[in-house]
Amino acid sequence: MIPSDHFTRFYNEVFKFLESQGEAALESYFLEISKNQEKHILDLIREKGFEGMLEYWSVIRDEENCDLDLGYDEDRFEIRMHLCPSLTKVQDNDAQTWGRYCDHCAGWIGPIMDKTGYHLVYDVIDRTKPQCRMQVFKDEAKAREAEKDVRLLMGWPGHPVKQG
Amino acid sequence: MSEFVPKPLRYNEGGNVHMDFHGAANTTIDFIVDRFGIEAMHEIFRKVGEDVYQDLRRHLMAGDRDELVRHWRHFFDREAGDYDIAVSDDEVVLTVRRCPAWHHVLEIAGRVSPHFCDQTIVTNAAMAEGTPFAIETVVTGPGACRQVIRRRA
Repeated sequence: MIPSDHFTRFYNEVFKFLESQGEAALESYFLEISKNQEKHILDLIREKGFEGMLEYWSVIRDEENCDLDLGYDEDRFEIRMHLCPSLTKVQDNDAQTWGRYCDHCAGWIGPIMDKTGYHLVYDVIDRTKPQCRMQVFKDEAKAREAEKDVRLLMGWPGHPVKQG
Repeated sequence: MSEFVPKPLRYNEGGNVHMDFHGAANTTIDFIVDRFGIEAMHEIFRKVGEDVYQDLRRHLMAGDRDELVRHWRHFFDREAGDYDIAVSDDEVVLTVRRCPAWHHVLEIAGRVSPHFCDQTIVTNAAMAEGTPFAIETVVTGPGACRQVIRRRA
């Protein structure tokens, strides 16, 4: 058994392999993980909206020992990750860290937000630091406005980041 | 005289446990095997055994099997596995009667990949490769196995 505590280090090795197979392989994997996650989160979002997101990520905060703040108002759900345990473990690792490790979060969350009609703005800030900010909007125009204020915007399959 | 306190494990996680990661591992195994073949999956597990678990390999290389025993105890306890470990001069036998990973996947996904236990078989073998020890992993039933560390002849 690879302990659940070490899943992220296994994940890191999977990403390195997939990158060697090309970008399409990575995107295809993000979509597969997104589909896997649907059984944990899709109904919560469809039935409860932001409250469902709060429920899901509150469990994640506790089970994964995250240092984060989360909450929502009428327009927006937000997570501010102060210390991400996933990247922290991957960096505290005798194997080399995949440089784009942070990309997987938007990679699986983005397709679920697309499917449920929400608009994701994922700011990784800096791929070498275990912190990020995720915002989910009901209104697309507000999401596009929020994108102007990010440091490192993430895309996901079917939603590439526009360059320039 | 003070009691000997061993150094912490190289990876010594505490706190809560997110068992659903095993579900993501199961999905990953099916994905990689379907698209790239079983050898690609095994190559990834070998990387885990050789690179991620370098520290356990170093202990085995130095003739120390106790560190791997501590690792087993720590993580099977954290995930409430049903297991025991028998240590003798000739071998160490880990008997897993109820693998927490396998059973969690069955519970949440309803189906466990036929290659799920390769993560243990191949990672163990890779960890021991080139050391004075071999680790034999035998699946003894659904979500059950025996892992044996023996000095190579």
